[in-house]
Amino acid sequence: MIGRTAIIRIVAAAAGLGALAGAGFLAYAIHPAIAPIAPPAITRFAPDSVARGRILAAGGYCAECHTRRDGHPGVPLAGDYAMATPFGTIYSSNITPDAATGIGTWSLAAFTRAMRYGVSRDGANLFPAFPFDHFTHMTDGDIADVYAYLMTQKPVHSVKRENTLPFPFDLRLLQAGWKLLFLHPGAYTPDPAHDAQWNRGAYLAEGLSHCSACHTPRNAMGAERAGAPYDGAPVDNWIAPPLNATNPTPVTWTENEFFQYLRYGVAPLHGSAAGPMSPVIHGGLSEMPESDVRAIAHYLADIDHADARRPGDAGHLAAAMASSTRDLTTPLTSDPDARLYQGACSACHANTGAQPVLGRPELALNNALWLDEPTNLYQVILRGIGTEEGQPGITMPSFYHALTDADLARLAAYLRRTRTTLPPWTDLEKKAAAVRATLPAPPVAASH
Amino acid sequence: MTSFRLNGHDVSVDVPEDTPLLWVIRDEIGLTGTKFGCGIGMCGACTVHVGGRATRSCITPVSAVQGADITTIEGLDPAGNHPVQEAWRDLQVPQCGYCQSGQIMQVASLLKDYPQPTDQDIDAVMGGSLCRCMTYIRIRDAIRKAAATAAGGETSNG
Amino acid sequence: MGKLGRIGLGQRAGNDAASGLSRRGFLMAAVGAGVMFGFPAARAAQQFPAAGLPGDGAFEPTIWCAIAPDGTITVNIIRAEMGQHIGTALARIIADEMNADWAHVKINYVDTDPKWGLMVTGGSWSVWMTWDVFRQAGAAARVALTDAGAALLGVPASQCTTRDGMVIAGTKSIGYGDIVARAHPARSFTPDELARLPLKPAADRHLIGNHDLKALDIPAKTNGTAIYGIDARVEGMVYARPRMPPTRYGSRVRSVDDAAARAVKGYQRYLVIEDPSQIVQGWVLAIADTYTAAIRAADLLKVDWTPGETVNVSEKDVIDHGRAQIDRKDGGVMVFDDKGVDSTFAAAASTFSQDYTCASVLHYQLEPTNALAFEKDGIFEIHAGNQWQSLILPSLAKALQRPEKSIVLRSYLLGGGFGRRLNGDYMVPAALAAKALGKPVKLVLTRSDDMQFDSFRSPSIQRIRVAFDANKAITAMEYHAAAGWPTEVMAAAFMEKGVDGKPYDQFAIAGGDHWYEVGPLRVRALSNDLANRTFRPGWLRSVSPGWTSWGLESSWDEIAHLQGRDPVQFRLDHLTGAGRNKGEAPNSTGGALRQAAVIRRVAEKAGWGRALPKDTALGIASTFGQERGMPTWVACAAQVHVDRATGIVRCRKLTLVVDAGTIVDPDGARAQTEGAALWGLSMALFEGSEIVGGLPRDRNLDTYTPLRIADVPEMDIEFIASTEKPTGLGEPGTTPIAPAIGNAIFNAVGVRLRHLPIRPADVLRALKEKGSSTV
Ligand code: FES
Ligand code: FES
Repeated sequence: MIGRTAIIRIVAAAAGLGALAGAGFLAYAIHPAIAPIAPPAITRFAPDSVARGRILAAGGYCAECHTRRDGHPGVPLAGDYAMATPFGTIYSSNITPDAATGIGTWSLAAFTRAMRYGVSRDGANLFPAFPFDHFTHMTDGDIADVYAYLMTQKPVHSVKRENTLPFPFDLRLLQAGWKLLFLHPGAYTPDPAHDAQWNRGAYLAEGLSHCSACHTPRNAMGAERAGAPYDGAPVDNWIAPPLNATNPTPVTWTENEFFQYLRYGVAPLHGSAAGPMSPVIHGGLSEMPESDVRAIAHYLADIDHADARRPGDAGHLAAAMASSTRDLTTPLTSDPDARLYQGACSACHANTGAQPVLGRPELALNNALWLDEPTNLYQVILRGIGTEEGQPGITMPSFYHALTDADLARLAAYLRRTRTTLPPWTDLEKKAAAVRATLPAPPVAASH
Repeated sequence: MTSFRLNGHDVSVDVPEDTPLLWVIRDEIGLTGTKFGCGIGMCGACTVHVGGRATRSCITPVSAVQGADITTIEGLDPAGNHPVQEAWRDLQVPQCGYCQSGQIMQVASLLKDYPQPTDQDIDAVMGGSLCRCMTYIRIRDAIRKAAATAAGGETSNG
Repeated sequence: MGKLGRIGLGQRAGNDAASGLSRRGFLMAAVGAGVMFGFPAARAAQQFPAAGLPGDGAFEPTIWCAIAPDGTITVNIIRAEMGQHIGTALARIIADEMNADWAHVKINYVDTDPKWGLMVTGGSWSVWMTWDVFRQAGAAARVALTDAGAALLGVPASQCTTRDGMVIAGTKSIGYGDIVARAHPARSFTPDELARLPLKPAADRHLIGNHDLKALDIPAKTNGTAIYGIDARVEGMVYARPRMPPTRYGSRVRSVDDAAARAVKGYQRYLVIEDPSQIVQGWVLAIADTYTAAIRAADLLKVDWTPGETVNVSEKDVIDHGRAQIDRKDGGVMVFDDKGVDSTFAAAASTFSQDYTCASVLHYQLEPTNALAFEKDGIFEIHAGNQWQSLILPSLAKALQRPEKSIVLRSYLLGGGFGRRLNGDYMVPAALAAKALGKPVKLVLTRSDDMQFDSFRSPSIQRIRVAFDANKAITAMEYHAAAGWPTEVMAAAFMEKGVDGKPYDQFAIAGGDHWYEVGPLRVRALSNDLANRTFRPGWLRSVSPGWTSWGLESSWDEIAHLQGRDPVQFRLDHLTGAGRNKGEAPNSTGGALRQAAVIRRVAEKAGWGRALPKDTALGIASTFGQERGMPTWVACAAQVHVDRATGIVRCRKLTLVVDAGTIVDPDGARAQTEGAALWGLSMALFEGSEIVGGLPRDRNLDTYTPLRIADVPEMDIEFIASTEKPTGLGEPGTTPIAPAIGNAIFNAVGVRLRHLPIRPADVLRALKEKGSSTV
């Protein structure tokens, strides 16, 4: 899922490379193959290295992009995950240690080169759908541990489908130009101005866990915009909200909010993780030691200037909570939009206390209402949230068949009008149809 | 194949993954206490608990409850004597009764979030549960009664 | 009018009716996978109640009850259980009269059988219709048991009394069960004998009016074991869901393409329904292994229809048509046409004339319509909840082209009736599909199907004209109402005849034929034929009094205000109980004076005349419930607040006083009145649809917005203590609410609304007009 966004940059990069040529470029673009090795025996890897690698692989979400999900689901890490783009589809590679179809013949050197420079063992440039621009910041030791983990998995023979990128986007050679411009290879160097926890958080967030890959907008070449780190960006038909001080929710994303969210999938004063963020947490970060997740939270809370923003929280929280039951209690409105909200949403989302009840997400506090577009609100309403997503064990139903685009537009307008202080969204019905169209299949075959 | 726990039993069902949980419960498993009213998540007749929270089963795809713990009206209390059920009988709440499984499940969940619910709590949370027979006055009274019973029970236990 | 003579026929307390069908003994196999998943076999028979049959050796003094050797008394209930706890109420009557021990009473909701006579549950009639029959039946049981018990005790029957299910003589006693077990009584009674049996005096009643009894149907409704029509299952059944045609009538299927539907797992086929009874037209059913597959497949069927002629009819068209009908002097049926109406109007010093309109209202009974149908052993069985079995049986016979006596309707609980299930049209396609497929078919309408197919409350228009003399006294009145006529469309034989000898739908005019003294009165009922052609007008909770009261009781306030009179006193002055308004025993003993009494009482309770905060006021209205032949006297005071900025009307309190004669089930009576009054409030302020393109616009709760819990005002309900014959309670509470609200709005902010429902925008518009007109 995360990788799909990256497609934008590949395509942009390929398109932008026509002008790039010359010896320097070619030197950058052409890499030798690294000799294949005989697949190493499992016993060659130290168990503690494998164990560390397993956690790192989770924290880097390897399986998210290297496991087929469409059609019949594939074996984890065996690749063939389809990343759809307007230009065609890219299928991820098999990273199990299968000699013929996976990375069984890759030496540690070949693997390290791929992680740091985005170059395949055979010398081909990898599409930056693979976020090597972040993995490059990992230490040699961590890369070796990931390698140890992957090489000790069960080899799976799995041939991925052919990419359907048309010329010239399919030219791997051209990816070299993109790297020339946007890849800053090399392991992370700690910032002495900050403490160890901050540096650990930065190392993970910027490297292994590549947060900004989704949360930073891209430039015309499809690379993360240098001047706008963590400003938020569209991803997979969702919006990855800003993680910096421009985050619009009324209550600050503090270290604790980040931690709760990243650890358990739900931030008490914001809401739960849905869409592409859910597997990041439940398939990834949940495997990491608590101290690492806390370090990321610590780092992100610094990025969003939580300390400076917090003083306003009490007032904002109170205002949000006061709006939670607006129109739901007497004197009752006859506003049909409010009554739509009452029937469809309030049983689960109305909060009367000073703080939201856990499992009763407060919409007035949620990113979904405060972003510039209703995208995430629509996504969640249409798809729902499974028990393995968001706050585990509980579920939000799918209103795909329940509500028409006009209904969605009414709800969105109503919530924006009554639960935020922001200007109204526009073209709501059209946008509802557009988000609906991004769902490959109706999530639920309910009646209507 | 989707697996979950239903009223304490492990169940697995082999149905298309977009099948609404409601019809799995009613037609595949055969527990008909959970009702079909609107089919769009706006009446509450189909309310069950998923992970302890009131959930509209009519628009919840079965695939979304993989591994979940689900309770229906039949499983709320082994003897049907949950404080909410008792209050419902004491105050003679049901008329046609068709909405009442959903009402009771919603109230049981409400009382977890708000053990001593105010009128505001009741209005806000129960607004999604339609009773076409309009038993609302008694629903409100019975919620108060169930809350009082539960509070009394806690005191005497403690 | 309104004596319901024809409808009341058919029930006698005797046991002489021939039984056309063997007693219910069927059990349906529990299908579904309950057992597989480790659940106890969910239910052997998917029917409520599980065991209502008396068993061997029971004594049946009449067809209405059986006393088993173990003392259990089974009361046969032919009425639909749809929330009124009717089984409990009726069982009280029979058990009270036989001095039974309530703990031994069970109820049995019966299937159709000619021996039951007319099976209908509507019109708030059940208690009123059953009162005499069940008291006689109870007396028969009591007398027979007393005689047999006296013999066993060895004393003359004249020395025996009965109490708590025992025959008692001095210190000796014997229980009813023992009497049956030992004496095997087999006595039966002729109708004449029944009519002569002594009945208990009101003072001796122990169950009727008892506040402590609980409704027998309620426990199962709190634990998921209550079984409704939608829960009925039978082995080997397939599911069906319709693809609804573009018009209620006259749509013809040109072609069906199921290419896309065939991709749905479990889809079997489609079926074009050809209905000889013409009740369903243009239906295509998707047939599938599961209901979800049927839902999906029906959506995917591509059906090409030639739509019926009403495909462009709108709500406004229907109302305009009604207005044009009223404008014409001819047409319609005269319910009252007293001498001198025209001449009095001609001589009037002044007149009043206003039109009042009401929007379409949908039933939205919470259980969507459904039916399970199959043929077994030569009998066609239909399993469904229904309110008027006797009405749909002949139609089913016509549709299936088989004799009525080979069809049986199995009774289930109803997930709401409100009149929707008086019309059993939803059974027809299920039956036809079962016939065509030769296997059991379970048809379930989704909510949108159900609303599209609803027999909804017709849009209506009323015109009220009043003549005054020079002293502003009322000298004559004309009342005209045009609406769709459900009874004409569905049960024409039940229509009553007007004073001009023409048949009319009493349920589409009742309420207009009021009890006020107004001099010569003309009440003219007009059948809106455009409504009748466009949809199948329905009986909806309280039917016409739900809207005739709106016009009539609004107009009483309008006139009172025009004359500077107090609306309460103005009404009382015209409820003199003279002439035809003096009432007739036993049904309307006391007449209009009883209506005056409830008005006086409600005014007193609500504090009529006291000062209230700004933009807050009381409004009053009064009705006689459903019909002159069975009046339930109701008065309501509504306290409302109007927000001038938003136009939102909030009803803060409803005070109701009801005189329904003897109250058989006090808690049930209160529950019915609570529900009915809130229906009235819902139709006044929150719900109301509109015909668009020949169909109701609203298809579900996303746009249809009935009252919910937070809308509920404080309520104060009082029943007048009475030992008169009980009248109805299911609907009367509905009838005075809307006019009371409208009158309160006028009293609060001085604007008069004449259309239901009252939307904030209407209030705002009226406030604006008033503001500009006073400048
Ligand atoms: S049936 Fe599920 S909310 Fe109405
Ligand atoms: S009791 Fe009938 S819908 Fe609630």
